[in-house]
Amino acid sequence: MPICNRREFLQGSALGLSLTLAGCSKPPQARARAEARISVLRAGDYGQELYGEMRRVLAEQRLQVRGKRVLLKPNLIEFEPDSPIHTHPLLVHAAFEAFRALGAEVFIAEGPGHRRNTLDLADAAGYFQTIPRFEDFFIDLNLDRVAQVRFAHPRSRLQSIYLAQAALSCDLLVSMPKMKTHHWAGATLSMKNLFGVVPGGVYGWPKNVLHWAGINECIVDLYHALPKHFAIVDGIVGMEGNGPIQGRAKRAGVVVAGRDLAAVDATCCQIMSIDPRRIEYLKLAGDVGEILKSLRQIGEPIQNVRTRFELLPVWQGIRLDNPVS
Amino acid sequence: MRTLIACQNPDGGWPYHPGGPSWTEPAAYALLALSANRSAAEPVERALGWLRSMQRPDGGWAPTPAVAQSTWVSAVVVLLGPAVLGEAPYRRAVAWLLDQTGEETSFLTRLRTFISGNQTPPEQRFPGWPWFPGASAWVTPTALSMLALGKAFRLEPSAAMHRQLQGRLQTGASFLLRHACSDGGWNYGAPRALGFEARSYPETTGIALLALHGIDSSEVRKACALAQVQLAACHSSEAESWLRLGLLAHRRLPADARAPTRPHRTVQNAALALLASAAEHGPNIFLE
Repeated sequence: MPICNRREFLQGSALGLSLTLAGCSKPPQARARAEARISVLRAGDYGQELYGEMRRVLAEQRLQVRGKRVLLKPNLIEFEPDSPIHTHPLLVHAAFEAFRALGAEVFIAEGPGHRRNTLDLADAAGYFQTIPRFEDFFIDLNLDRVAQVRFAHPRSRLQSIYLAQAALSCDLLVSMPKMKTHHWAGATLSMKNLFGVVPGGVYGWPKNVLHWAGINECIVDLYHALPKHFAIVDGIVGMEGNGPIQGRAKRAGVVVAGRDLAAVDATCCQIMSIDPRRIEYLKLAGDVGEILKSLRQIGEPIQNVRTRFELLPVWQGIRLDNPVS
Repeated sequence: MRTLIACQNPDGGWPYHPGGPSWTEPAAYALLALSANRSAAEPVERALGWLRSMQRPDGGWAPTPAVAQSTWVSAVVVLLGPAVLGEAPYRRAVAWLLDQTGEETSFLTRLRTFISGNQTPPEQRFPGWPWFPGASAWVTPTALSMLALGKAFRLEPSAAMHRQLQGRLQTGASFLLRHACSDGGWNYGAPRALGFEARSYPETTGIALLALHGIDSSEVRKACALAQVQLAACHSSEAESWLRLGLLAHRRLPADARAPTRPHRTVQNAALALLASAAEHGPNIFLE
């Protein structure tokens, strides 16, 4: 039985929303970069052992979520069940069960950027089949309540933005992207995945306002506007080449998790053989050298799981083995 | 129809998902569906009261009361016509729609392109409509705006307004034809990127075909052939409805097309299914 239903979750979120917005006024540069504990878990496939592994990862991340509202935000884009576009539903279910085991109220939410029919997408991606009573726990971030957020220190051309209230008011937003290359941003990971909290019902499909305001700058604005976050990246089978939709499957065999999205993404880039110092949104999020220095890795060393994700010709300059000028 | 009425919120609007807040788009589609099916007057009156109260001073509609900006949803409301909305609110809404274009065809963007020495890509020569002011034009808002302004064109007595509407409808059609994917259909509006061809979607192919009704060209015939294939392998109720409406508009819905099979997972999709069904058995409310 769910601890509360979807509507109760949204109604109970008003206090959390005001607190979230109050937290946005802190200048991003004032945040000291604390040690970032990053879990790198080797995982060969989407098997039942992921349920136990996810519990272990959350334990090593020392998350206190008892009685808290946790929103899992996977990445759903297209009706291509055989292509590694989506965060795998079994990993999402494993995270769902692991957070519930810690006493959290857990919901799953997404607002896809291209296709309007979110529940049909989730169905085609296997979410209904994998997650019992999926619809009871799911919130379509494109079509639910929205609230306006003013960026305290905008990097993009936007001074404010409407965001899905469910994402603003939860106690922990867990970004669960697929590890993919991206034709406009180089790589799409836990920070870029935050585009899904921008409501299509307001901005459309695609959420093109973000492109005009600067894709990389908007990624960073959203990262700062949603500070209570955590990341679990599905890199078991990722996507290389012309991602995030038309690329090829790339088996990286890892799950990467941590509280600091920039540090998680910098770790993923290194696993993908991409230089994080050349990813624009990471540079905007802070001194990438400092981010890399802050990493305290748990689990597999990066060099053991590093694999070469193919890049489009236009992105060859971000390759890790390219000398930094 | 009973399910649709049961989903109406106490404020008179409709949510996307039962129990959610009222949004303009599902409310407008629900009203269109109720009108097409000549349904109960009381829910219609309550819905109209809600919609009329939502019209903004600039003539457009915001997607939800929580948003302070007129957007693409205005086109769906305009489809209701002057008899439902009232003559003056309708005219203000049509004027708002006529003012909207994609940012890529704005004077400033074209000037920037010229100064930077770049050429305007051929697909950016024809203004379409954006989802949100200040962004690029895309297939769905362009198709919806064309359907709304097409209705205004058929009702408009003034010659000057007629010409203005006709001009936007022609450039809108050119926008759609220039944004077709290589497979003949439409996706959200990016047929290629970085040299890669993108695939079309069934729902956007259906709505683009509906907006291009009355145009008989090799591109449209190719799109109809693709739409027939897409209809047979459809993943969503929304796509099924738009494909049926698009094919009906070109009299290309196969006689043996399977009955709609997908569950309606939003109020809007339930309303669209009713509109597609009504169009199969009578007048198509988008083209009346």
